[in-house]
Amino acid sequence: MTLNATKGQKLLRFLANNTVPILFLIICAFGIPLSGYSANYLVSEIIIRLVRNSFLIVSLLIPILAGMGLNFGMTLGAMAGQIGLIFISDWGIVGIPGMVLAMIISTPISMFLGWLCGKILNMAKGREMVTSYIIGFFMNGIYQLVVLYGMGAVIPIRSKSLVLPRGYGIRNTVNLIGIRKSLDNLLMIRILGIPIPVATFILIALLCLFVLWFKKTKLGQDMRAVGQDMEVARAAGIPVEHTRILSIVISTVLAGYGMIIYLQNIGTLNTYNSHMQIGMFSVAALLVGGATVAKANIRNVFLGVILFHLMFIVSPMAGKNLIGQAQLGEYFRVFVSYGVITISLVLYEMRKKREQAEAGLSLAAAQEVEA
Amino acid sequence: MKMGRTLLIRLSAVLVILILSVVLFFIGKSHTVLVDNKTVTVEGREIAPLKLVEVSVSKQGALELTPRDRDKFEVTGQKHRVTVTYTDDAWNERTITRSFTVPLMQDMVMVLVPALVAHPEGDQALWLENYEAPTYAVTMSESDEVVTDDMAGLITGI
Repeated sequence: MTLNATKGQKLLRFLANNTVPILFLIICAFGIPLSGYSANYLVSEIIIRLVRNSFLIVSLLIPILAGMGLNFGMTLGAMAGQIGLIFISDWGIVGIPGMVLAMIISTPISMFLGWLCGKILNMAKGREMVTSYIIGFFMNGIYQLVVLYGMGAVIPIRSKSLVLPRGYGIRNTVNLIGIRKSLDNLLMIRILGIPIPVATFILIALLCLFVLWFKKTKLGQDMRAVGQDMEVARAAGIPVEHTRILSIVISTVLAGYGMIIYLQNIGTLNTYNSHMQIGMFSVAALLVGGATVAKANIRNVFLGVILFHLMFIVSPMAGKNLIGQAQLGEYFRVFVSYGVITISLVLYEMRKKREQAEAGLSLAAAQEVEA
Repeated sequence: MKMGRTLLIRLSAVLVILILSVVLFFIGKSHTVLVDNKTVTVEGREIAPLKLVEVSVSKQGALELTPRDRDKFEVTGQKHRVTVTYTDDAWNERTITRSFTVPLMQDMVMVLVPALVAHPEGDQALWLENYEAPTYAVTMSESDEVVTDDMAGLITGI
């Protein structure tokens, strides 16, 4: 009887811990037949999305390790990556050299923005996510000021195809034809007709290995300690504030690189929007993969990309086939992106409270036994 | 002492990255090489275009040009080789290969094929000239709106 109850409890716990991925599995299970897409098409699309988004989402893992929650401030890194891309487009640097140069340009900008973000987040302990979200909006204003008014006026931009007709400011879209798929096409193989960009997967695998290695380093262990309990970490001699700033800096720099990889796959930079969308979609994908505000791993990244983007792929066509309007699917996916973040945050809080209550009950029971 | 060593390592790393950036800039810089088969005037002498000529630049596929034709090659880096294959008046096939250097910040250069054929050993300046694309070719319409709202795409679709 006790064993059955334990099994039931385990099942309930499993369901509670994986509510979001299960929800998405159900959505996809309904959406795939409705969309009418072939398995081959879906697999090739998923591979494209994995290549495009994984690097960005992996960049979110380190701040979670340091207990700073989901780094909505990754948009800062994305902005830095975009600035790097604008410069290489202006200078006409193409291919892999162009991508690497864009990454080099983005690095100091990302580091500075990450440091700034980390400093502010240290002043807002316990409210890191909402603070980083707002920092993203604030920095977007600065980005717009620089790109829309500074570039071409103060910062020299030679290319007329980049500058707005008024003579300053960058156009709404920047054509990245020079670096388009340069990494993806570096080592492309086909399996059953499905293109697999091996070079990009190798880069993502290297980043995953870096994250796994990093967790075992002194700094990684310090971050874990800070994430578990800041006061205990401080008492153990860990420079808590510095460690937290470092986690955000690393995340921001990686987000910058991720944005460059993302945009080389797409081939077009939406100057004023790309970075804003990417923060929300990356966070949502990680949460869909079963991550929480306090715990995330590489498995969550890949599961999240697969489930979240599978929903992205099938929902417009499912919406069109179901109601006759593809636009419904577009609304659906934006709605789901915000919705999944909300559900995850609510579930996380509920779980935290439940665990606290359970811990209280078991402590009370233990005290009763002792008495 | 340790502080000084750390600083030295950091400065060295920055220096290596700066050198790498410069190298990337040089090897990744793209240029457009136009190949032009039109009547040209060199040193006061008018040179007629070739009836049919095959031109290739830096191991890229050859292009065939007839009189008044102009085509282009996209290349990266500064140093390149142009190969021109044509049939002379005695029906002998001739091939001219010349190396040339594109100025670093020059986006477009134009190889004047008739001038190159007339002066195969001549100075690069005789058959290669810098080219600036006309303004209308690189700018888009005046009504290029800046959209800064990420929901704008959805709202206009209603």
